[in-house]
Amino acid sequence: MNKRMLVALVALAGVFVASYLTLYKLGYIGTLACAVGSCETVQTSKWATFLGFPVGAWGVGYYLVVLALGLVGVMPRYSEARRLSEGLVALTGFGLLFSLWLTYLELFVIHAICQWCVISAILATILFVLSWLDLREVKLLEDETLDVAAEELREGAYGAEIRNTSEVALRAVREE
Amino acid sequence: MAKHRVDGGRGRRPGVVNSAKRGGPGRGFWLALGLVVVLGIGLLGYLASRPKLTATTIDPNLPPMKAEGYVLGSPTAPVEVIEFADFECPSCGQFATLAEPDVRTKLVNTGKLRIRFMDYPLSMHHNTWDASLAAACANDQGKFWELHDAIFTNQDRWNTEATSRPRSVLADLAKGVGLDMTKYDACMKAETHRAKIQANQQEGERRGVNSTPTFLIGGKLVPGALAYDSFKKLIDDELAKAPAAADTNAKGSSTPTTAPATDSGKPKAGAR
Repeated sequence: MNKRMLVALVALAGVFVASYLTLYKLGYIGTLACAVGSCETVQTSKWATFLGFPVGAWGVGYYLVVLALGLVGVMPRYSEARRLSEGLVALTGFGLLFSLWLTYLELFVIHAICQWCVISAILATILFVLSWLDLREVKLLEDETLDVAAEELREGAYGAEIRNTSEVALRAVREE
Repeated sequence: MAKHRVDGGRGRRPGVVNSAKRGGPGRGFWLALGLVVVLGIGLLGYLASRPKLTATTIDPNLPPMKAEGYVLGSPTAPVEVIEFADFECPSCGQFATLAEPDVRTKLVNTGKLRIRFMDYPLSMHHNTWDASLAAACANDQGKFWELHDAIFTNQDRWNTEATSRPRSVLADLAKGVGLDMTKYDACMKAETHRAKIQANQQEGERRGVNSTPTFLIGGKLVPGALAYDSFKKLIDDELAKAPAAADTNAKGSSTPTTAPATDSGKPKAGAR
């Protein structure tokens, strides 16, 4: 199981956590009431809505996009696509920052902690770390593939001239 | 840039590198994905199926309430509901603005129900005490319910997120409902009713209230911002338990005897 598969799994878990928070915010699950130090305080604060939608709903959208990228990324055709890894790092990096901001609000502005929000923040952190590891792995893989190709060229039954031109070309590719 | 990695990769065949590091998704992956789906749906289903209202029965041997709160409705109404609420709690605001207008027109004004409001200021709402004090000062001038409604309707103008100086906004609201501002200001400054509000809250604490709004209906504590239909059902159950009283009051409601004999204000036909 590579990192992108783990990304997809964690993102899917995130979809459910964010769905729960959204349903709760909209009043479909649980009791809307205020109590000291509870989810209600967080969920009923003005910070629970972002650009007109519940923050949880944004979370559902975010996790779905990460899930989709992760699923595309595990397909053999794209499994070594570096762009995809970079996209994942950028997206999950943004998700992590957003989660950090929300957690900051919970701790220092709203003064209440919502356990499912914390779980979502943890998932966002895991997603970023996994994406970053994935990017490193893909980069390494790319280097190795190039290197193996170069080796084959060197050891293969090619004329010296061809080998030299190929190596120049390879170096150019690598530098790019 | 990755010179050492280039060296490290030497001598491996492409096939070995690729299949070892990046296979396509195997059965294990799809199984794990399916497992997460099943767990997720199971969790959501469990959370959704949990009863929304967890009514608890209070100890019947508790001494009767000493604190009065604020009463709306006929003293002869067969059912009394005690509402423990925090003026800054959004759920209380939701009940007050969405369900309460119907509760008043259909239950209070028809003589079936009497509402007793008790302050239950929660510690995390920094401005709620000022609102409770303002409402108590309005009560001195017989306008508790008028200011109660204004406070809840304008919650987002004076709550902790809106301002650190709620008193000026609350004074605006007090002026808006027609209070004598000289008396109001003096009352607020002296915090005359602090002890009374504390007493109201203590009655709630004694009965195990730990969230707002919480309704005490016929010996049961029901938490949450009830919708009118759920609220009415609970009242109907109580009315059914006291059929004689309900009958006399049903008659009474056809010939309007809505006597607002309360210490704090008249029942109004809805909040707005």
